[in-house]
This record gives sequence, structure tokens and C-alpha cells, in this order.
Amino acid sequence: MATDQGPSMTTYVGIWVGLLAIVGIEVAVTYQHPETKDLLAVLLILAFVEAAIGLLFFMHMKYERKVLFWTFVPITLFVLLMMDHVWADAFRMFSLRLLQ
Amino acid sequence: MSDSELTMTAGHGALMEESPYGVQSKKLAMWLFVASDAVTFAAALVAYGFLRIGSPDWPRPFEWPSIANGLVMTFVLLSSSLTMLVAVRAAKAGLKSKAIQWLGFTMLLGIIFAALHLREWFHMFDEGWGLYKNPTGGPVDFGAAFFSVTGLHLLHVISGVVAIAVITLGYNRGRLDSNHVETTSLYWHFVDIVWMFVFPLMYLMNAR
Repeated sequence: MATDQGPSMTTYVGIWVGLLAIVGIEVAVTYQHPETKDLLAVLLILAFVEAAIGLLFFMHMKYERKVLFWTFVPITLFVLLMMDHVWADAFRMFSLRLLQ
Repeated sequence: MSDSELTMTAGHGALMEESPYGVQSKKLAMWLFVASDAVTFAAALVAYGFLRIGSPDWPRPFEWPSIANGLVMTFVLLSSSLTMLVAVRAAKAGLKSKAIQWLGFTMLLGIIFAALHLREWFHMFDEGWGLYKNPTGGPVDFGAAFFSVTGLHLLHVISGVVAIAVITLGYNRGRLDSNHVETTSLYWHFVDIVWMFVFPLMYLMNAR
């Protein structure tokens, strides 16, 4: 099976250390107290990088047939993108509450 | 012949084709579950984002001790993914006792994560936070969002520990094989990946 292939334990430990380092960066950035929108952007980018690493290496997506990736990932991302239509209404609520 | 081919053709001769995905049906089912569960968590996080953006006086209750606790929880959960990988490799290599040992470590780390999580929750309850309570007098939405999202994740961790325990017992008795261990590991890594979003969005974004 494709999953019999895969990285060595050394690589796994390296990835584990790398993921911990990214979490450390997230905390360090948070305590620089940037603006909320900047902090959100940085944290989301780093979280997606972590998720991609986890998906590819820990969940072995990298070592499966490409069709598995192309079946699940674009569709899931599409659904996640379709959820983003709510933000305009959230900002409208914010403006209304400021007026109260 | 690969395991997937064996599964797909067992009892049906050449009537059935090999899976185009090259994986066993139970593993494919786990991928389907993971994709749908990812959307569930995304919906919960989007709802949290919606509430947060819509509230001008959103509270930021987390002091450094809570963030440090979250960091330890992250370390524990990431380490449990590593122990799970060791368990899967051992199971694939036919090293049964080693695989069971590392599955045990994974469960232990899952239990530690849940205990740290509950400790944080009870600390917040003591401070007056609740599903519909805000001791600072601001919007109560914070408690609803925080306890819903982290509670959903905690439920997944506890379910994962139970699932690993069941798989370990079956594997130990020879009723289940290394493919079952691998399929369960997919779920466990997914729970880990979800935490990579929950920790920054629920804790770090609400740090003082």
C-alpha cells in the first residue's frame, strides 16, 4: 500500500519540532500585541501551514494517490470558502451596536 | 496484491475493480468523516468569528497562566501524534507489543490533555465564566463560543481515547490488524490539526 512508504522517524521528529516552533512563533507574535486584524492574519496563516504539514506528513496524504488529495482537499476548501459570506453581516452588526 | 486489492476482491473474484483511491474502504470512510468533521469545526469557528466581529466590547480574559496551560496542552497533543506515528509504524512492522505500548502512551497523553483542558474550564467557572455568563459585564457570547468550540474539541479527544482503547484491545486479541490502527491514527491526527486552529483562535486571540 502507498502508506507503507513514508518518512523516517527522524523526519517525523523534525516535523514535530517544527510544529512546536510554529506554535512558539504564534505565542511570540501574540505578545507583540499587534492590531487584532494583523494578529488574526498571522495566526490563520501559521495555522494553515501547520494543518498542511499535519495533513501531508502525519496523515500521510503526501504518500497516497493524488486522486485522494484532489477528491477531498479542493471540495473541503470550497465549502470553507462558501462559509465566508457571513462576514459582511458581522461587520454590519458591529456598526449597528456602535450606533446604539 | 495490495491490501486494498485483497479487500476489494475478497469473495468476488475479478468482478470488482480495485479502489481508484488505492486505500481500504474503512480508510476511505475515515477520510470522508474527517472532511465532514473539518467542516463542522469550521462552522463552529466561523460562528465564533461572527459573534466576535459583531461585538465591539469582546472580552479578552486569558492571562499568561492560561496561555501557558494552552501551550502545555498543545505540546501534549502534538506529542501524542508522534507517539501514534510510532505505534502505526510498529504495527505495520508486525511489532505487536511495541505498537500496543505506544498506543498506550498516546491514550495517556490524550487523558493528560483532557485533564488540563478540564482544569482550565473549572478555573474559568471559578472566575464566574459560563455558557451564558460573563463576570466582566460584557457580552455573554464569549462563554457560549469558547465553551462550545473547546467542548466540541474535548469531546473529540475523549472519543479518540475511547476509540484507541477499543482498537488496542481488538488488536491485542488479534481481532483487528495494523490497518485498523492506521485508520484510527487518521482520526487522532485530525483532532491534533483542529487544535492548531482552536488554540490560536480561541486562546491567543483572546489573550490580554
